[in-house]
Amino acid sequence: MRILILFIFACTNAIGQNFTVSGYIKDEDNGEELIGVTVLVGETTTGTTTNAYGFYSITLPKGSYNLRFSYVGYRLQSIPITLDQNISRNISLVTEAIDMDEVVITGERIDANVTDLQMSKTKLNLAQVRKLPAVMGEVDIIKAIQLQPGVISAGEGTSSFFVRGGSADQNLILIDEAPIYDPSHLFGLFSVFNADVIKDSELYRGGIPSRFGGRLSSILEVRTKDGNNKEFGVTGGIGTLASRLMIEGPIVKDKASFIVSGRRSYTEIFTPLISDQDNQVFFHDINAKVNWKVKNNNRFFAAFYSGRDSFSFEDTFGFSWGNQTGTLRWNHLFSDRLFSNMTAIASNFDYKLELRDPVQGFSWKSNLRQFSVNTDLGFYINTRNELTFGYHVSYREFQPGIIAPNTAGSVFYTVSIPRQYVFENDLYVDNQQRIGEKLTLMYGARLSIFQNIGPSDVTTYADPQDNINIVRTGVQHYDRFEPVKTYVNVEPRFSLRYMVTPASSIKASYNRMVQNTHLIASGTVPIPFNTWNPSGPYLRPQLADQIALGYFQNLSRNRYELSLEGFYKDMTDVTDFADNAALFFNPDLAVEFRQGDSQAMGMEFSAQKKQGKLTGFASYTLSKVTRTIPGVNRGNPFPANHDRRNVGNVALTYDLSPGWSFGTIFTYSTGRPITMPAGRYEYGPYNVDLVTTRNGYRLPAYHRLDLSATFNPGVNRARKWRGQWVLSVYNVYNRKNPFTIYTRTAEDEEGKPIGDGTQKEARMIYLFPILPSITYNFKF
Amino acid sequence: MKRYLPILMFSALLSGCDVPIDLDLDQTPPEVTIEALLTNRPGEPFVRVTLSVDFYYEGHATRLNDAIVTLRNDLGQSVAFSHYAGGSADSVGYYLPPEGFAGQVGRIYTLTVFAQGKTFEATDSLKYVTSIDSLSYRPNRFAEQDPPSDGKTYELLIYAKEPQESKDYYLVKYYRNDSLTYNGDSDVYVLDDYGVGENIDGVPSAVLYSDNDLARIEMFSLTREGFLFYNDLVTIMNSDGGMFSPPPANPRTNFSNGALGFFQVSAASERSIVVDY
Repeated sequence: MRILILFIFACTNAIGQNFTVSGYIKDEDNGEELIGVTVLVGETTTGTTTNAYGFYSITLPKGSYNLRFSYVGYRLQSIPITLDQNISRNISLVTEAIDMDEVVITGERIDANVTDLQMSKTKLNLAQVRKLPAVMGEVDIIKAIQLQPGVISAGEGTSSFFVRGGSADQNLILIDEAPIYDPSHLFGLFSVFNADVIKDSELYRGGIPSRFGGRLSSILEVRTKDGNNKEFGVTGGIGTLASRLMIEGPIVKDKASFIVSGRRSYTEIFTPLISDQDNQVFFHDINAKVNWKVKNNNRFFAAFYSGRDSFSFEDTFGFSWGNQTGTLRWNHLFSDRLFSNMTAIASNFDYKLELRDPVQGFSWKSNLRQFSVNTDLGFYINTRNELTFGYHVSYREFQPGIIAPNTAGSVFYTVSIPRQYVFENDLYVDNQQRIGEKLTLMYGARLSIFQNIGPSDVTTYADPQDNINIVRTGVQHYDRFEPVKTYVNVEPRFSLRYMVTPASSIKASYNRMVQNTHLIASGTVPIPFNTWNPSGPYLRPQLADQIALGYFQNLSRNRYELSLEGFYKDMTDVTDFADNAALFFNPDLAVEFRQGDSQAMGMEFSAQKKQGKLTGFASYTLSKVTRTIPGVNRGNPFPANHDRRNVGNVALTYDLSPGWSFGTIFTYSTGRPITMPAGRYEYGPYNVDLVTTRNGYRLPAYHRLDLSATFNPGVNRARKWRGQWVLSVYNVYNRKNPFTIYTRTAEDEEGKPIGDGTQKEARMIYLFPILPSITYNFKF
Repeated sequence: MKRYLPILMFSALLSGCDVPIDLDLDQTPPEVTIEALLTNRPGEPFVRVTLSVDFYYEGHATRLNDAIVTLRNDLGQSVAFSHYAGGSADSVGYYLPPEGFAGQVGRIYTLTVFAQGKTFEATDSLKYVTSIDSLSYRPNRFAEQDPPSDGKTYELLIYAKEPQESKDYYLVKYYRNDSLTYNGDSDVYVLDDYGVGENIDGVPSAVLYSDNDLARIEMFSLTREGFLFYNDLVTIMNSDGGMFSPPPANPRTNFSNGALGFFQVSAASERSIVVDY
């Protein structure tokens, strides 16, 4: 391998007298490597961006150049270099003070909205996210992501979201490359991401690069901070429902550092006020990371995350779930043009339900484990070509459920749903090529070789789709690692960007995505006990082909960024279930699967203002997603559960002075489709709803206004301790936003049936009324 | 138990915070509904034929008195059900077999109903049901701490042997002083034997009784189709609108041609006890 790389290197070098300038770009104050910094040569648009580890590399003909480094929130830097040999330049960027003055802009600002090849991508600016109103005072990147164009919140009660017609399980959520299977804490009031610890967060909705795969609709890549390697720091916050604390610092100054952060809720104090039942709800999570540099071309990272939610109802019924991830990474510079990263990942997602009862007590556990090794290489061939390639191998273990008695006299005996094992190999390559001054292309592909393997006993059925009379015709046994079912798919990826003028561009992309890990969820809100199932003999991989086209324009010297994007996504084999499917603890779950087609299309508009006293963004998405599944709704097309015709968001922040800033969020969404009865009939003493079409009705629209005020006292003093008060109000005009509608026999105020008990009524449930909160954040 | 999980979770989390809402629904053509029960106890079998109505219609479902109902078994014997002429307005729509007629364990029955110009047919089998060995009672833990106003604080304890060599499904009915009783108006007590061992040693009843009540429990055997029907019925009656649970769907029926309802064929066993604490 080394010989091959040196050969390529030597070849390209021999063509002309080219030399390479490379290095790492960091934050001057805390030494954190910066991801996605734009590095440009002279006044041109030639250049590159730093990768996930802050590394850049540019190969140019011998000569003198001016390199410009630009990144949102940091002061522009311009460095002259003389290239007559390969040189290394590590750069430290300085944070920019708040630009109070609307008129003056220092230097020419280059903006990624227009120049970046990557379309349909949102990179969250955490400094800006922190100033927005936060539910219960907790800054949450998932809430910020739910405001982006093309992203629809799954509603209250969860942190999940839908991207471009995809259901909640079609998003790959990664924390330092490890997968997270449920991003919610405390019914979506918080997410698993502790904003103190997040360095970078990017959401890809389309034009997905080939290094990502495994889900159809989006990739949310979150990277945590490495820890201040210059000096110790403590950051924390005390909020209404939860508190957090983070400690970071150097182990060896400039060479090794650590960061540790924890959060815990104390909602146990409040639940007795809400209901007189003895219900307890709480969560906690921990993030920890250590990194160290060895010589100049090796860097090691060890990161860990563990989070848990726990709910108990009257001491009889309890459930809990959590994600745990651990990663070990090694960055290695083979040369100043070949960057490699190798990561070993371990991840576990589990949930547990328990009913404590002497006669009917049981416990039900389920988990999903993954071990992967990812090798990713970036080869900066020359200023016109950047090659990315790699190999990911994964082993997954699915334990859908073990139900066991938890007391001696329990009527249950232990039953276990068979485990499934997966071995997956993914290879990818893509090249980013600049043609002329205006056109950049990215083309490549991902090869996914997915295998459902043994040990496994696969039941064969007379009719795998008959869920009334389940006739098992036999059991086929597979040994350890013996392939049960193999699915090979090629996923082509293609993007292009054409600069019409220096302030506007047209982008287009096509990608094919394959999904082999499916969430068996039937409702709109994914509850943590929905089981994950791999593709197998009875479940085919889901496929999506997406094309997107967009126009991007910056106005007023990049002060305003506008974009308009349209997309069309065609999905095959999306997972759904037969009517009346038994999804919980069903050993014959395979007979309930129904796979069919889905089409989504939409238009996304967004406007952003990133500078001045008033900053913020507005987005509007018009979209439609339908499904056609044999055996469901009599085979007729119906709106998907996650179809929301119109979604609009506005988020603004106003910096009145260095001490005060105000934020507001307004969000609007068409109501979700719901299946409502068309009539009713009698059976015995029961008055039953008669259903005719799936998702034929719509809930009323969802809309909400949040406000916040942030006060930074003593901001001018040179004291070490910095405190901040945040007052936020969620749902300012107290709208009863519909969560769901259910039907029942019409009752009077005392709960007695009206008249002869044949009358029916519909009732709407809403979750969160107006919620004010105060948080105190500190840093020293 | 496992089937109630989404419902349990849902109601546990989101108690309160609900308001009435008026649904803007279209009219729908009425559909034939058949409720049919055949057991091994004479005097119990009946068939009831009605029509569905609009969701907001006030009053009972329309009863049909001109349906033609016949029953035959797997030996080719058949019997006709006739509309029960006598009695009150409430008995319109009931069709009864000849006096003393009952089903037999091990037979397969097919019911044919001709109504509104269409023919509907269903088949089900009469399966054996285990007997209830004995009953006892004790105060219910929660009712003792928080006594309800109607005085219902005692639960029955059921003792029975569950046959392990067969796959069995049961429908349970509770009677309090000879009238059918439920905890809530959308409760159906239906069980399968998945994960259940042989000894049912004092499983508590789903319904509570007060002192001096005559408590009676009846257990009916169900085929798998019967179990699925009642399960689906519970699901649609307790649906949360598709938030955590699946979108509501009509229960699976054994009737052909689009009839609603079900033809249930069961053996019944019962036991009574007087609560005298």
